[in-house]
Amino acid sequence: MNRIVIGRYIPGNSFLYRMDPRTKLIAMILLMVGVFLIQSFLHMFVALALVTLILVFGRLSVKRVYLGLRPLVFLLMFTFLFQVLFNRQGELLYSLALHYTILNLSLAFMVVLLWGFTKRFIRFRLLYFLGAVVGIFALLHSISFGVVLGEGTFAVYEQGLSTAFFIMVRLIIIITLSTILTITTKPTDLNLGLESILRPLRVLRINAEEIAMIIAISLRYIPTLLEEANKIMLAQASRGVDFQEGKLKDKVIQVVSLLVPMFIISFQRSDDLANAMEARSFVPGQERTRLHILRWSKLDTVALACTSLALAGVVLLRVVGW
Amino acid sequence: MNMIDIENVSFAYSGKVEALKNVSLCVRKGEWVTILGHNGSGKSTLAKLIVGLLKPQTGTIRVDGVELSERTVYDIRKKVGIVFQNPDNQFVGVTVRDDIAFGLENLQIPREEMVERIERYAKRVDMYSYLNKEPQALSGGQKQRVAIAGILAMRTEAIIFDEATSMLDPDGRKRILSYMRKLRDEGVTVVTITHDMREAVQSDRIVVLKDGEVLKADKSENVLKDKETLEQSNLELLLPLEVLHGLEKKKSTNEELKEFLWQLSLNG
Repeated sequence: MNRIVIGRYIPGNSFLYRMDPRTKLIAMILLMVGVFLIQSFLHMFVALALVTLILVFGRLSVKRVYLGLRPLVFLLMFTFLFQVLFNRQGELLYSLALHYTILNLSLAFMVVLLWGFTKRFIRFRLLYFLGAVVGIFALLHSISFGVVLGEGTFAVYEQGLSTAFFIMVRLIIIITLSTILTITTKPTDLNLGLESILRPLRVLRINAEEIAMIIAISLRYIPTLLEEANKIMLAQASRGVDFQEGKLKDKVIQVVSLLVPMFIISFQRSDDLANAMEARSFVPGQERTRLHILRWSKLDTVALACTSLALAGVVLLRVVGW
Repeated sequence: MNMIDIENVSFAYSGKVEALKNVSLCVRKGEWVTILGHNGSGKSTLAKLIVGLLKPQTGTIRVDGVELSERTVYDIRKKVGIVFQNPDNQFVGVTVRDDIAFGLENLQIPREEMVERIERYAKRVDMYSYLNKEPQALSGGQKQRVAIAGILAMRTEAIIFDEATSMLDPDGRKRILSYMRKLRDEGVTVVTITHDMREAVQSDRIVVLKDGEVLKADKSENVLKDKETLEQSNLELLLPLEVLHGLEKKKSTNEELKEFLWQLSLNG
């Protein structure tokens, strides 16, 4: 759990740290919209290169952001494979004949078992998993003798591959942009920025301060609750619960045994916190003075102008159809 | 003049479990009063009632002459601050600075004054060098000191410490007790809620609660000497007091005294 980078502020000193949180929030939204409008491979690569440049010039460690992406690799892989396997539009790029015989199905089953039993000893599990998948396909393709139960094809279509690529790169860019925002912005500043941006919603009788307070307290209590979850896991592990291994059914029971105390603790904590806040004269919706004041600088104007121009450029490219 | 006046207050959770039964007591201005009782005696409920976090079913509570009601509760919270038991569950800010600022922001204190008060009270509880630290970087005792700084910065006339030392190590406990003493010396009204006799010893008066009722309210010295009341309320006597009571019972010889102390140590 300690490897999760998203949502964590890491102290530093670069232009990204000096920018007003409102600028960063608006710029992030504009860039995200831009990424969704991009339709060509070249433009997507340019966008990816630009995000990497932001990381480099912002003196942020690319490796650290990559480590932040690691917990999401499975989601990215799943999205990619889902599109490649099930999107059958466009030109056929690659096709592989598959034979389902008793022998190769049995061998495939054995590969699955072998993978299941040995994965705990392997360091690069994702690569190992991909290797197992490729191995199964190779078996199904190459062994055709014996009793044939059926025939099939593994086909990759142009549209499937391109959609898979766009979705994956978009996700990577979006996650990287939000990681840049949280790494370079103190939660207090992020909260103030959000509150300031949401303030016009007062017209719709939406209290921006309350929303910002909810977000701030949620961010404040993430580490505390993670610590709490670790303690419960250790307490349960000391009584023989193994969160790493076991059947799916056992894992579900283990997760439930973690969630129930977590819910109880969270409700208890929120009740205590509400009392502490009220006792310190907090009244929801009441005017408050602020310790932190946001200051707009030239850098913010330049940054916002650049991102607006980038978005305008993407819109123009889309309209022109390049 | 009394800072806190409680008259015939009763309170029951969900209308069933009676936590307080017809409780009456007062706390004078500038006085240090300990509310002493074992778990479930109703002492924390009493603290929540004083700051208006709970509403009594019967009876009245007056703070500095003002009767506690829905209309006056916000004014009363400006006069009485409270430090709770679990330091983690009262840390609102993302950093120490933000947490001390929280109450001040609610009181609409101007920014310049806020900055001055945060620095002053952080220094007062020896947390100045931690102002930019996040709560995860602090120990339980340090978090509790931040909570105290937050209340001190609000400049309330009275502070309630609701088992504020029960989760701390001996060092942390000593430090918080020294703050309580200093506050009383400066004229701040201090109310400590505890089951720990070592805390009660230093206060001016002790109110013993048992099963939601006041068993005794008197000068600390008188209550601490009253073995019967303390035993009745399941409170553990301090070792020197046990010895004192033992000596008072009969004039012991040195050998008898040694034997008595030995038996006392064996019984924990």
